[in-house]
Amino acid sequence: MWTRGKKTGIIVSVLAVAGALGYLALGNFGENLVYFFTPSEVTAFTPDYYRKKVRVGGMVVKGSVKTRPSAVGMTFALTDGAATIPVTFEGIPPDLFKEGQGAVVEGYWTDAKQFHSNMIMAKHSEDYMPIELRRAGVELPKKDFMKTLRQ
Amino acid sequence: MIIEIGHFAVVVALVLTTLGIAAPIIGLRTRSPEWVRVGRMAVTLIFVLLAIGMGSLVYSFIVRDFSIQYVANTSNSKLPFFYTVSAVWGGHEGSLLLWVFILSAFSTVAVWLHWKTQPVIMPYLIAVESLVMCGFLTLIVFLSSPFERLFPVPLDGKDLNPLLQDPAMVMHPPMLYMGYVGFSIPFAFAMAALFSGRLGEEWIKVTQRWTIFAWLCLTTGILMGGYWAYYELGWGGYWGWDPVENASFMPWLVGTAFLHSVMVQEKRKMFKVWNLFLIIVTFSLSLIGTFLVRSGVLTSVHTFATDPRRGLYILLFLTVIMGLAFGTLILQGAKLRSQVQLDSIVSRESAFLFNNLFFMVAAATVFLGTLYPLMIETWKGAKVTVGPPYYNAVFMPVALGLLFLMGIGPYIPWRKASRESLKKNFLIPMMVGAAAAALLFLLGIRSPYALAGALIVGFVATTIFVDFGKISVIYARRDRVGYARGFLTAFAANQRRYAGLITHIGVLILVIGIIASTVYQTEKVVSLRVGDEFPIDVYRMKLLRIHEVSGPNWNAQEGVFQVFRGDRLITELRPQKRVYTESQTPTTESAIYEINMGHIFLTMPEVSPDGVAVARGVINPLILWVWGGGGIMGLGVLLNIFRPRKRDE
Repeated sequence: MWTRGKKTGIIVSVLAVAGALGYLALGNFGENLVYFFTPSEVTAFTPDYYRKKVRVGGMVVKGSVKTRPSAVGMTFALTDGAATIPVTFEGIPPDLFKEGQGAVVEGYWTDAKQFHSNMIMAKHSEDYMPIELRRAGVELPKKDFMKTLRQ
Repeated sequence: MIIEIGHFAVVVALVLTTLGIAAPIIGLRTRSPEWVRVGRMAVTLIFVLLAIGMGSLVYSFIVRDFSIQYVANTSNSKLPFFYTVSAVWGGHEGSLLLWVFILSAFSTVAVWLHWKTQPVIMPYLIAVESLVMCGFLTLIVFLSSPFERLFPVPLDGKDLNPLLQDPAMVMHPPMLYMGYVGFSIPFAFAMAALFSGRLGEEWIKVTQRWTIFAWLCLTTGILMGGYWAYYELGWGGYWGWDPVENASFMPWLVGTAFLHSVMVQEKRKMFKVWNLFLIIVTFSLSLIGTFLVRSGVLTSVHTFATDPRRGLYILLFLTVIMGLAFGTLILQGAKLRSQVQLDSIVSRESAFLFNNLFFMVAAATVFLGTLYPLMIETWKGAKVTVGPPYYNAVFMPVALGLLFLMGIGPYIPWRKASRESLKKNFLIPMMVGAAAAALLFLLGIRSPYALAGALIVGFVATTIFVDFGKISVIYARRDRVGYARGFLTAFAANQRRYAGLITHIGVLILVIGIIASTVYQTEKVVSLRVGDEFPIDVYRMKLLRIHEVSGPNWNAQEGVFQVFRGDRLITELRPQKRVYTESQTPTTESAIYEINMGHIFLTMPEVSPDGVAVARGVINPLILWVWGGGGIMGLGVLLNIFRPRKRDE
C-alpha cells in the first residue's frame, strides 16, 4: 500500500512535469502568432504594429513587378482595391506568383511605408483566391485568385 | 453505363449500413445469433458493393470517360496511366470513397477473423463499424458524389494537380487512410467492451496487432508525405507544420501513446479508463484529420474544396460519434477502478505514465496550434496563423524527453526500481551518452540540440545494444551455439519486446537524421547566367547551359549544373522548371545527388527570358537517416505483427 508521503511525492512530481510542459506549450504561444491583414488595414497601422511579423493578402498590381538586379528578389505593389502597398521581397517567389494574381506575403511594415517580405505564398489552382481575403469580404475577380500555400 | 452500376452499388451499400447497425442490435435485444449473422452478411456485402463502386470509378478513369465530372476534373487524356489510377483519390470525392472502401475492407476482415473467438463483442463491432460507414456513405451519396455526369461533355479533362503527379503521392493518401481507418477496429472493440461491460484486458490483447498495423500505416503515410514535400515542393525541407500535416500527426501522437499505454494494462491491470480514453481520442482525431483536410476549413496545400455543407455535415457526424463514445465512457468508466496503484515514481509504470504525459502534451500543442486560428476567427474575426517556431520550440524538449524515456522504460523494473538495478542498467549507458556528447563537442559541434541529442541517443542506443549483447551471450551459452544464433533464439523467444526495441533503434536513427539535416542544413539562393558558378558549403555549382525538354504532359526548361568539390567534378544536376500544358501550371522539379548519406539538393525556380536563372542549393547532411530510420521502424513493426503467437494471445 501507499504511504502518504510516497503518494504526495508521486503526485507532486507528475504535476511538476505537467506544469513545466504546460508552460512550454502555452508560454511560447503568443509571440508566435502571425496575424493576417489586408493592404487597407496595413496602411492604417499604428506605429506599434511596425516591424511586427504579419501576413498581407492582396492582388499583385499589373506592371508593378521589378526584379532587383543586385540581389535575388523583387519589388512589387500589392492591392486590395482600396489601398496599395509597396513590397520589397527577398527570396524566391512560388511557382504561381504572377502579376494580376493573388498572393499572400509574410513580413513586416516599416515607418518608411514599405513592406519587407521574405516569404510569398500562392496556391496552384486558378479557381482559388486567398481564403483570408474572401473572408475579409474583399471582392476580386475569382478566376484570378489563388489560395495560400506554404512553400 | 459502368459508372451508373458503381453509383447504384454505393447507394445500396448506404442502405445496407442501416441493416448493419440495426441487425446486431435486434440480435442483442432478442438474444438471437441469427440477427448478428445478418449483420455480418451486411458488412460483407457493403465491402463487395463498395469494391464495385471503386472498380467502376477506376475503370472510368482508365477509359478516360470525361463525361463524368470527377474524372474530367482530376485527369486528362495525356496523363500517364500510373497517375490516371492514382487520380481516383486525387480529389475530394474519390478520396472519401477510398476512405470508406478501406473501412469496409477492414471491417469485413475483422468480423470474419474474430467471429469465432469474440462472439460477445461481435454485435457491437458490427454496429459501430456500420455506423461509421453509414456516416461516410451518406456524405458521399448526398454531398460529395464522384459519380455525377457532366453535360455538355468536355473534350478533355482538366488534369490532375501536377504536384500530385508523383510516385510518393500515389501511395500517401491510401497509407494515411489505412492508418486512420485501422484505428477504427480497436476503437470499435473498445466501444464493444464499454457497451457489453466486458472491461478486462481482452479487447486490448485481441486488437494489439490491429493497433500496431494502423500505426505502421499512419507512420508510413506521414513519412511518405514528408518525402513528397521534400523533393516535390522544392523548398528542401520535409515538414512545415502545415495544418494538414498536423491533422495526420495528432492521431499519430495519441495513437503512439495508446500503443505504449496498453502494455501497462496488460501487465499490471492499470490505466484501464485511460486506455479507453486514448483510443477514443485517437479515432476521433483520425476523423477530425479527415474533416480538417476534406472540409476546406483550413488553408492548406491539400485543401480541395470549400463546400460549407460538407464541413457542417462532417462536424455533425463527428459530434454524434464522439458524443456517443465519450458519453458511454463517462457512464461506464465509473465501474472501472484500477485494482492496482502506482508503487513508486521510479518504476516502469511511471515511465509509461510520463511517456503518455509527453505524447499528450505534444498532441495538445499541435491541436492548439492548428485549431486556435479557427477559434480566433470564429470569435474575434481576426485572421491568424501559428508559425513553425512555436512548434519547434515546444517539440524539441518534448521529443528529447520522450527519447530519454525510450532508454528508461524498457529497462527499469515494474513496481519499484532499487538503487542497484538503476546503477546496473543505466550507469554505463549514461557514461557512453556523455562521452558521445563530449566527443561531438571536441569535434567542434556547439549546437545545444545536437549535443543534447548525442547525449540521449548515445544513452538509449547503449541500453539497447547492451541488452542485445547480453541476451545473445546467455542464449549462445545455453544452447552452445554462436552469438548470432543465440541472438536469433533470444529474439524469437520474446519477439514482441525485441521487435519494439528494433523500432526504437529506427527512431534513434530518424532523430539523428532530423537533427543533422535541420541544424546543419546549408541553403543558398543565387541568380546566375550560363557559365556562372557559386560556392555552397564545400562544393561549387556551375551552370553549364539551359535547354528545353518535354514530357507527356509538360514542357520544361532544364538547367544543367556541374557540381565540384575542389577541382573534382562530383556530378551533374538537372533541375527543371516545368509547365504542365493542360492546366498551364508551373512546377519546380528538384535535382538531388546523394553523398555521404546526405543530399545535394538543387532547384531552379526561375528562368527569366534574358537568360538569368535563379538557383537554390541546399546541402542536407544525413537526410537519408530520416528515411532509413523510418524503414527500420517499419521493420520492427512488421516483426511485431508477424511474431509467433504465444499461448496467452
